[in-house]
Amino acid sequence: MELVAVSRGEADRQVMECAMDAGHILLENGAEIDRVEETMDRICRHYQVTGSSFFVLANGLFASDESWSGGAFADCRHIPVHGARLDRVAAVNQLSREMEEGLYIPQELQEKLKAVRNMPEKPIWLRILASGVGSGCFCVLFGGSWMDCLVSFLAGVVLYAFSLLLVRERLSKLIFSITGGALVTLVCTLCFRLGLGDSLSHMIVGAVIPLVPGVAFTNGIRDIGNEDYIAGIVRLTDAMMVFLGIASGVGLMTMFLREGWMW
Amino acid sequence: MVKLLMAGLGTAAFAVLFSVPASLYISCGLTGAAGYLVYALLMDAGFSATMATFFATVAVVLLARFLAVWRKAPSTIFLITGVFPLVPGAGIYWTSYYLVTGQMRPALESGFAAVKAAVAIVLAMVMIFEIPGRVFHVSLTGKGRIRHGNHRDNP
Repeated sequence: MELVAVSRGEADRQVMECAMDAGHILLENGAEIDRVEETMDRICRHYQVTGSSFFVLANGLFASDESWSGGAFADCRHIPVHGARLDRVAAVNQLSREMEEGLYIPQELQEKLKAVRNMPEKPIWLRILASGVGSGCFCVLFGGSWMDCLVSFLAGVVLYAFSLLLVRERLSKLIFSITGGALVTLVCTLCFRLGLGDSLSHMIVGAVIPLVPGVAFTNGIRDIGNEDYIAGIVRLTDAMMVFLGIASGVGLMTMFLREGWMW
Repeated sequence: MVKLLMAGLGTAAFAVLFSVPASLYISCGLTGAAGYLVYALLMDAGFSATMATFFATVAVVLLARFLAVWRKAPSTIFLITGVFPLVPGAGIYWTSYYLVTGQMRPALESGFAAVKAAVAIVLAMVMIFEIPGRVFHVSLTGKGRIRHGNHRDNP
């Protein structure tokens, strides 16, 4: 990489941009507010940028820095809630450790962060399989038989394929969880009427699990524990809406099928 | 025993879904299985579901924080995946089922049970995260051998 000599003010700006990028990646991919703030702060302290301050919300980053050369830095980013990519959180965490050991100058750090942002996602077939395996396992965990487990596996696969290939981008989260819950119920009921599986409830309970908003729920709790109440409440509300969506999706579809609407 | 295996495997499957780094799948699975083990043991011993969930979450959080120091990864990774077997997913289902079939009393009961389990998880997490990070460092790396200067202990 080509290294260019820069003025102190320019260097400060670079550090601030690093901090913003790091914070952006963390926040977008399911880190707690506390971790985002701490990492950004750490980057600034390490490179002796002292005039900086940050404000982090559940979906936004605000930063300003008054550098000693007289220039000023201000940036604000809107970060919509995204799917969780915990590998990116781990990677940024690792980078921050390496930075503290003095391995990088800001320019290198920026390159590394860009690389983290471009980390490849796991192959689609693996994620679909994982969704199925998760569903099947939890079905047995909640007391289903092996046959139930198989149907649950199937429903989990269908559910994830549905979420990936069709609607993730276009549907709002609430509608997605309602349709997801309904779809799972439909698949399980169909299989059940065809004579597969012993207990309809256990099959549905297992298959619904991939919809559960684990990241929002856990992070919401941790934010509240860290006294980041605004972000915590936003995330818990997010989780609550998804829970409600699942419940109503399952409920609606059960009602339709029960009334003989489709038969 | 089979269920324990299933809890581990299921948790690992969710680790894949949240694209946790591949080297941490087993740690995630272990966390989930350990949480479920505590839950199942306490249920057998006659504790209420809420209490069992509380102590199981305590176990999950403790383990997640140990693993975070040991594997040098954010504890969030182990926590998010490990808590999955304890989240009242079944409670949600039964609540909506009873509601739809017009059985108000059981609906209320199972809905309330799900909320109680969620509150138990919240309390356990908040309490265990109050323990200072140094405790987890010292017990694993030996006194005074904190390797990363003042780097925070990945709480």
